[in-house]
Amino acid sequence: MNKDRIIGAVVALALLGAPLATGNPFFQHLLIMVLFSTLLGVAWNLLGGFSGQVSFGHSAFLGVGAYATMLLHLKLGWSPWLGLLIGGIVASLMAIPIGLICFRLRGPYFSLATLAVAEIVRLVALNWESLTAGPQGLLITHLPELHLFGRAIDWETKIPFYYVIATLALLGMGVTFFVSQARLGAYLLAVREDIDSAEAAGIDTVRTRVLALALSAALVGLAGGFYALYFRYIDPDAVFSVALSVEMVFIAVVGGIATTGGPIVGAIFLVTISEIFRERFQSGHLIFYGLFMMLTIRYLPDGIWGRLRTLMRLSTQRA
Amino acid sequence: MALLDVSHLSKDFGGLRAVSDLSFVLNQGEILGLIGPNGAGKTTVFNLMSGFIVPLSGSVRLDGHELIGLRPNAIVRLGVARTFQIVKPLRKLTVLENVVLAAFLHEPKRPAATAEARRILAVLGLTEKADSYAADLTLGQQKRLEIARCLATRPKVIFLDEPMGGLNPTEVEAACDLVLNLRDNGITVILVEHQMRAIMKISDRVLVLHHGVKIADATPQAIVRDPAVIKAYLGEEAA
Repeated sequence: MNKDRIIGAVVALALLGAPLATGNPFFQHLLIMVLFSTLLGVAWNLLGGFSGQVSFGHSAFLGVGAYATMLLHLKLGWSPWLGLLIGGIVASLMAIPIGLICFRLRGPYFSLATLAVAEIVRLVALNWESLTAGPQGLLITHLPELHLFGRAIDWETKIPFYYVIATLALLGMGVTFFVSQARLGAYLLAVREDIDSAEAAGIDTVRTRVLALALSAALVGLAGGFYALYFRYIDPDAVFSVALSVEMVFIAVVGGIATTGGPIVGAIFLVTISEIFRERFQSGHLIFYGLFMMLTIRYLPDGIWGRLRTLMRLSTQRA
Repeated sequence: MALLDVSHLSKDFGGLRAVSDLSFVLNQGEILGLIGPNGAGKTTVFNLMSGFIVPLSGSVRLDGHELIGLRPNAIVRLGVARTFQIVKPLRKLTVLENVVLAAFLHEPKRPAATAEARRILAVLGLTEKADSYAADLTLGQQKRLEIARCLATRPKVIFLDEPMGGLNPTEVEAACDLVLNLRDNGITVILVEHQMRAIMKISDRVLVLHHGVKIADATPQAIVRDPAVIKAYLGEEAA
C-alpha cells in the first residue's frame, strides 16, 4: 500500500536525522535505548502479537546473542560485528527445538516453558565459569577499529551505535511488515484465533509458530549482540533477567500487538517512564510497567498504536 | 472403488467406549449419511478420521495412504477436509480473509489466493458478505463459510458435521442442493445430520451408529425399515 510506504520513508528519514537534533550524549543515549527497546518489542510482537504465543522468557535469546557476540570476540578474536550477526543465528537455532517441543502442547505450556528456559540458560551462564566467567561477567575494553569511507569510526561517541541500532530496528520493522503482508502473517493470526480451525484449513500450526519464534529469537539475538557491544559488559543477571523479558511484553502490548509501528510507540513510552521513575524509586518503575500494562489491557486492548489507527480510520470514514 | 477405507476403528473416553470396532468404506463420488442418536459417536468418528483425536486402534486409509497418526493439517493436505458441528470461523477476520487462509494451501501468493477465495465465495453465494466479519454472519451463512474454507483446500473428500443443524427449512433445502452440487463436482461426501428427511433424500447410502457400534449400513430405503435402527431411535416396543 502506498500509505505504508510513505509512513516507512518518513520513519526512516526521522531515524537518520534524529541524532543531528541533539549533541547531548544523554539524549543520544535515550534515543539508542528507545530503538533498542523498539527492536525487542518488534521481535516479541512477531510471535506474541501475531500468533498469541506469550513468551515470558525472551531474555534467554537476548542473553545468548550477547554471550555469543562477546565470546566469539574474546575467545576466538572474531570481529564483534560478525559476532553480532552470529549471535542472532545462534539465538534462532536455539529457539527451534524449544518451539518444536512446546508448540505441540496446548494452553499455557509454551509460556511456562519460556520462563523455565530463560532460567536454565541464566543458571548455565552463571555456573559455566570456564566459558562465561560466571557472575563476574565479560568485558570488552575497546572495540576494534573499523573504517567507513576512509575514516575510522569513533566508538567512544554514541552516534555510530545509534546508526547500528537504528538499522537493526528498521530491519525488525521491515521483517514485521513483510510478515504481516505475507502468508505467514495470515497463518499466525489464524493460529491466534483458533488452532483447530487453522489446522482444518491445512495450516501446519506447529511449523508456523516455530518459524515465527525463530525469526523473533533471531531479532532478539541481534539486540543482545548490540547490548554487549554498546555497554561492553555483560553478566548473566543483566542479560538473562526476567525484567528484560517483561519489558518486551510491555512494549509490544502497550504499543499495539500485531502492528508494525506499535513497538516504537511502546518503546518511547517505556523508556520515558523508566527514566522518570528510576531516579526516585530503585526498581519501582516495574510497578508502573505493571500498572500501565493493566490499564492498556483494560482500556486499549489494541494498544496505543492500534487505537490511533482505529480512530484515524473512523475519522476518514466520516469525512 | 473404495476411496476411504476405515477398519476396526476404536476409541475410549475414560471407561466409555465411544467408537467400537467400526469398519466401513466410502466409495468415490458417493454421499454417505452418518446418523445415530445423540452420543452415538458420530462426531468422534469425524475427529478420529481428521486427526483431531488419536484412536485406540484401527486404521483409516485414503487411496491406500494411512491417515491415522497424521496431524490434522497433513490430512487436509492429502485432500480430506472437514467442517465443525459448532462452527469455528475466525470471527475477527472477514469472510474473504477466512477463505483466503485456506486457499493459501495451494496458492501461496496473496493475489492468487484471493482470486481463488472470491471464486469459491461466488459459488456459495457469499460474495455480498465477503467484507463482513465472520462473527456477523447468520448461522446458515457461517455454515456455508465453513464449507467455503473446506473447498479452498481442494478436497477429494469432505466431512460435513451437521451442516443443516439449526437452519430453517429454506436454508435446509439450499444446503441439500449444495451437498448434491459438491458431489456433482467430484467431491465425495460424508455427512452427519439429524435432519432425517434431508439425509434420506440426498444420501446414496446411510450408516447408523448406536453407542459407537455400527448397526446398519444400507440404502436410505432399507434403513428406514431396519428393525435395529427403529429400535435404536424409538425403543424396544416400536420395533
